[in-house]
Amino acid sequence: MNETSTTAEPPTHLILQMALRDVSVLFRTPWIIITRALSFIVQVFVFANLISGLIHIPGINYFEYYAVGSVVATIASISFVIGYDIFEEAEEGVLDYLLTLPISRRQFIIGRALGGAMRAIVYTIPMFIIVAVFWGFSQPVPILTALLSLFLLAFGVTGMSITVAVSVKSANRFDVVLALLELAVSRASTALYPIGFIPIYVAVFAPFSPVSFAADSAHSSLVNLTLDLPAIAGLVAFVVIFLGLGATFYFRRLEGGVYA
Amino acid sequence: MSNTRLIPLIIERDVRILFSDAFLVAIMFANFSIDLFVTAATFGRLVTGQGANYFLYIAPGSNLITAMVAAFQSGRDVWREKYIKDLTSYLLTLPVQRPVLAFSRVLGGVVRSVIATFPGTLVICYLYGILFTPKIFIAYLIVGLFSLGIVGLSMAISAFSSSIEMWVTVRSAIQLYLSFLSALFYPVSVFPSFLAPIVSSNPMTWAIQAFRQLSPISFAQVPAGDSLGSIATLAGPSLAFALLGTVCYIWYSKL
Repeated sequence: MNETSTTAEPPTHLILQMALRDVSVLFRTPWIIITRALSFIVQVFVFANLISGLIHIPGINYFEYYAVGSVVATIASISFVIGYDIFEEAEEGVLDYLLTLPISRRQFIIGRALGGAMRAIVYTIPMFIIVAVFWGFSQPVPILTALLSLFLLAFGVTGMSITVAVSVKSANRFDVVLALLELAVSRASTALYPIGFIPIYVAVFAPFSPVSFAADSAHSSLVNLTLDLPAIAGLVAFVVIFLGLGATFYFRRLEGGVYA
Repeated sequence: MSNTRLIPLIIERDVRILFSDAFLVAIMFANFSIDLFVTAATFGRLVTGQGANYFLYIAPGSNLITAMVAAFQSGRDVWREKYIKDLTSYLLTLPVQRPVLAFSRVLGGVVRSVIATFPGTLVICYLYGILFTPKIFIAYLIVGLFSLGIVGLSMAISAFSSSIEMWVTVRSAIQLYLSFLSALFYPVSVFPSFLAPIVSSNPMTWAIQAFRQLSPISFAQVPAGDSLGSIATLAGPSLAFALLGTVCYIWYSKL
């Protein structure tokens, strides 16, 4: 049953319903939210605050740089959580129930990816507001541009997380692979430190990390009040590639190798 | 068979569980490498004016964080045994007294942690120029003593966490405390005075100080001399946490 009858509801409504389900699933596990929020607060207001006293870069307020980067790293981190949900659903048999819902596979997958991105944005907005208020980012257009970059990053990372969730079979391996991937895309990026200080063997790749694209775009918008179009273009490419991959792998998993 | 002769067998079982998926050990080393060669190397270039190479100052932290992750993995395995695999009843049928079983599980976690950080400790010893000196044994002693406390803590969490979400949350909170409220990245004097007691009682503070004292380089605000004083201070919380883990393991096994 690749296509189910969905005449009663318009497709956009069904996709939105799938997405809203994922948003509510995240908020039903408050522990994850508490952990990530605590981590953000300690990292910004303890770690970044203290270490910025030891870092002196002309033209850059490192405390501010790290705070904006932390929001970007946090949204990437929370976007990865959708993979854990999808993996658990498959293990616990909830996926079988979800597949009986009157929604086509395409809408189901787009809804999951959209839900992953939406909940990451909803979750990160309070942190974004803290950073915006603390450093006085008040221009509406730069704020919207930064949020757009964050949303694109969340959308792409969700696709990446779905790809890993449906590709790795062992629960233990899945945990560590996703944690390693999360660490690699965040640390080997320009979110937490300027490119000029990253060792050359990482600096070669760091500008192409999706987290770098989002961080560069957010910094340009909020701090320099300029639009970083190459970074936004990079984010769009990342979204297209990983949503495509995630959807392909998810279709394969759902249909045993037959595309919907 | 006497109780003491069973201890190595229980430890061996825990080590076998670690190697049941060698991929996990490799991933832990990959995490260590990212921490050291990306994050620490970058901060080494960012931070100036510390009187010595900041990269070397924070390098042992990468290894101790790996030890912490490996130590928590032991606690997670104990949690899985109870809530997922339902193995607690079987373990209690083994011909060994419960306190011995519980302490052996803690020791098993320490051995796993030392094994998981074995290559990382070698890398740090190489960076510190003590690879071919007797100080390398002190380096492993520091990792083992630090892991002892963290394994104890992780087993205590396993006793009280009924869901994996709660377990992961408490673990993350402890990891934040160990990483950011310690002397891992900066000296204790940098912290506001109200945080200083929290930082000074953090096992990570003493473990990393002991490591830094092994280096022939004199770092800013690290007391000169051998590591014995710092190791002795580290032993206090480590033994206390190990005892806590043992007691909690016995307590939760009776449930």
